[in-house]
Amino acid sequence: MLVACLLAIVIFSVASPHYATSGNAVTVLRNSVELLLIGLGMTLLLAMGGIDVSIGIVMGLVAIAVGRIVSADGSPFLAIISGPLVGALLGCVTAAVIVLGRVPAIVGTLGLLGVYRTAIFVLLGGQWLSGLPSSLTDLLSTTVIGIPVAAFAIAIAYLAVWLALRRTPYGLHLLAIGNSEEKARLSGIPVVKIRFATFVISGVLTGIAATFYVATYRNVEMTIGSTLALDAIAAVILGGTSILGGRCSLIGTVFGVLLLRILQNGLLLIGVPSLWQPVVTGVLILGVLGFEAASNRLPLARFRRARA
Amino acid sequence: MKTLRNLQGPALTLALLCGLWLIVIVGLLALKPSVFNLGTVTTVLQFSTILALVGLGQGLVILAGGTGIDLSIGGAVSLSAIIAMLALKLGLPPVLLPAVCILAGAALGAMNGWLVNGLALLPFIATLGTFFVYSGVALAVTGGAAQSGVPAWLLLWGRGVVLGIPVPFLTLAIPCFALAGLVLMTTAWGRWIYAMGFNERSAKLVGIPVGRVRFILYVLSGALAGAAGLVSLAWLGSGRPNIGQNLELESLTAAMLGGIVITGGRGGVGGIFAAVLLLVTLKTGLLQLNINTVWQVGIVGALLVFVLLADRLSQRWRS
Amino acid sequence: MLSHLRKVLAASALSLVIAAAAHAADKHKVAFVPQLIGIPYFNAMEAGGNRAAKDLGVDFIYSGPVDTNPVDQLQIVQNLIDQGVEAISVSVLDASSIAPVVESAKAKGIKLFTSDSDAPDSGRAVYVAQATDEGLGTTIIDELVKRVGEDATIGIVSGEATASNLNAWIGFMQKQATAKYPKLKLLAPQFAGGTAERAAHISGDLMAANPDIKAIIAVASSTCPGVAQAIETAGKIGSVIGAGYCSPNTARSYLKSGAFGFTVLWDPEQLGYLTVWAGKQLIDGKSFEAENKIAGLEKPATYDAAKGILLLGPPAVFTKDNVDKFNF
Repeated sequence: MLVACLLAIVIFSVASPHYATSGNAVTVLRNSVELLLIGLGMTLLLAMGGIDVSIGIVMGLVAIAVGRIVSADGSPFLAIISGPLVGALLGCVTAAVIVLGRVPAIVGTLGLLGVYRTAIFVLLGGQWLSGLPSSLTDLLSTTVIGIPVAAFAIAIAYLAVWLALRRTPYGLHLLAIGNSEEKARLSGIPVVKIRFATFVISGVLTGIAATFYVATYRNVEMTIGSTLALDAIAAVILGGTSILGGRCSLIGTVFGVLLLRILQNGLLLIGVPSLWQPVVTGVLILGVLGFEAASNRLPLARFRRARA
Repeated sequence: MKTLRNLQGPALTLALLCGLWLIVIVGLLALKPSVFNLGTVTTVLQFSTILALVGLGQGLVILAGGTGIDLSIGGAVSLSAIIAMLALKLGLPPVLLPAVCILAGAALGAMNGWLVNGLALLPFIATLGTFFVYSGVALAVTGGAAQSGVPAWLLLWGRGVVLGIPVPFLTLAIPCFALAGLVLMTTAWGRWIYAMGFNERSAKLVGIPVGRVRFILYVLSGALAGAAGLVSLAWLGSGRPNIGQNLELESLTAAMLGGIVITGGRGGVGGIFAAVLLLVTLKTGLLQLNINTVWQVGIVGALLVFVLLADRLSQRWRS
Repeated sequence: MLSHLRKVLAASALSLVIAAAAHAADKHKVAFVPQLIGIPYFNAMEAGGNRAAKDLGVDFIYSGPVDTNPVDQLQIVQNLIDQGVEAISVSVLDASSIAPVVESAKAKGIKLFTSDSDAPDSGRAVYVAQATDEGLGTTIIDELVKRVGEDATIGIVSGEATASNLNAWIGFMQKQATAKYPKLKLLAPQFAGGTAERAAHISGDLMAANPDIKAIIAVASSTCPGVAQAIETAGKIGSVIGAGYCSPNTARSYLKSGAFGFTVLWDPEQLGYLTVWAGKQLIDGKSFEAENKIAGLEKPATYDAAKGILLLGPPAVFTKDNVDKFNF
């Protein structure tokens, strides 16, 4: 993945004189903030053999809450706290249906997607939250020792999840459930607890993403987040996390998100119309994963796996 | 014994859906009797045709198991309609338009089938990829502009109504469902599909050509998407690059609501048919009562969750 | 399970009764179908429609799709036809696919007309226009040239690629640029779909790709916040100006921060009023005068009989100096 990212960067730098500028790098990174956070949650969900297709709309719901707080009270700290909290709450709702109701995640979250969309409309009452005060923006777009707050937040989130995966039983349990839920249950893993917690974690991360969204765009419209879920899933599977569960790569997700955004940005810079962007996303998924699938079946790879 | 249980599930769902459908009808009757005329029936069936066709394709793919799913089905509807219209512009004789449209869909389906079978990609990933590609290409090659020039005789078919039933529904949707139902219930192919959905490994062991069946089902799903694209052409009078927008989710909803189990092996096409009618009747009813359309999305979503929960509960009771 | 669902349905049925009762009165019915519900622009039209309905003594029905999906829009129009609503106005999402419902309305003697976005040659009764497509396209280019000069690069960010009215505006922008300002470099339009986030990404990329860019036009009202935000976050206020067709409420803070130079729009509330008034005229079988003085409107509406267009009047240009006088 790293190779693919670097390759893309080199090609675009050659093709467009404006590509390899620091300003453009900042643009790409800024465009990736929400997707990096949501993708992290999605990585855990997929690794567990779950999925959440309503995640973008959940971000929209949290953004409404954050936006309301920002516009009503003006206290940015309250908004920062409320984002993850509301996200956790919605994660609980999703988890209650999927985990406690024992409904297949893909269909269950599809149903919830409809319900949440209606909720967004009802909450907004047909109006947008636009031109929100910039108190939150001022707080979250500052830099600490030259590094933007968003980068810190993302680094902390990834580090925390990494530690949980590698240094606590949670990680082992998660992957075990992803491999086989039945076997995990038989070996005494608290399957329901772990699955519930993962949906809540994903909710919290989505809540943080929503906070940054409001800070960046100062606007909440009806269609907010409608394309995010599929983008996140695409980025995560590009990063090498298995959708069947049992395998996950956090760093892969980072590169998956960056690769998507680098390509979207780079293609526009070399003059490809934006309508082609979904096509590129699709070809990328098929190309990368198809190549991987094909090379896995080569004798050499089998040999290597057998030794490893 | 096993076959008995297999048949019971869909029959149960069917009964549930018919009951729900009656409730919607009766409720509507009580609230707004003026709704009931032949025109409303025509409207409901008119808007059911496309969804019924793609719902059937989606349902069949899921039924065969192996984590089967077709997320690209909406994109295939758009792209096959666009391919057909572009072929017409390039000098294709108009008589061949229907055939080209359906064949284009089948080819797109074959692509999915190859990715799933040949490359052994997971269906979710393969069709997510082709979803982006198909819907994206349809928009990008046309720049979003609708492609006009559908021959007049095709419009006659697409907009015709016989005894209150839209002709495309009568001549395309009903035969497709009847055929699919017949094949599933009475032929070896039908039993193969259920068997591989129920347990792929044992299906392979007893010599069912699992790979070939799966490939053909994806082609079929694509061809049905092509047929849906054709209906859109004949009805709207132009090829629209985003006609299939949201159909992947709607077809999935119809199939799930219709009692197809996401892991495969359980469900029937009758349920899909009933679910499509229920969904469109519900939408129509809400529109007739001038309820804000945003409630449709929520009610359909809630309905889906409820039916899934009901399925779980009934399983728990039985065991 | 069944009883549970029954309860839910009973509850929803109850709310349906209440909603249905509101329309039970035996008045003439005029409907308006927007392109998308839940956006401030069409809400303002709804408000105008409601005001007109009160003044003129008709029932006003407002119903539209939740996605910019033409088939959903058709379904809504078809259902209004089946209900026997006497006059139905549509802000057309896609001009080429409206034909089936126009036919079915004619068969039932229902007046189907367009408002806000037109479908010429579809056989519609009249088009209630906020301004001509040409007027909108040329105004924005002329206003921009006043601010950035003729020798400039300008980007265009639109919403859905399939929206026929937005594409018509873009077409006239390009025409005006080639005809009147040969030095002006209008970049190819980019499409952001319906979300502000995508619009912001694309605007950011456009600015990176064209360091000499002087202005970005936000064509769909849903892209306005995204374009403005991208200019603000890139720190390009002053060197790049945004412009577009957005309501004063949406653009207010951006006009004040300088991210937006101006926006061009009519008063959608007035347009909604005119739409319902036109519907009433059609139901009553009255024809339109060349100039129609209407009690509820600020200015008389002109009628172009040859094209079948009822025109609200020239669009207004909002800048930071006058934006506070408006609230929609």
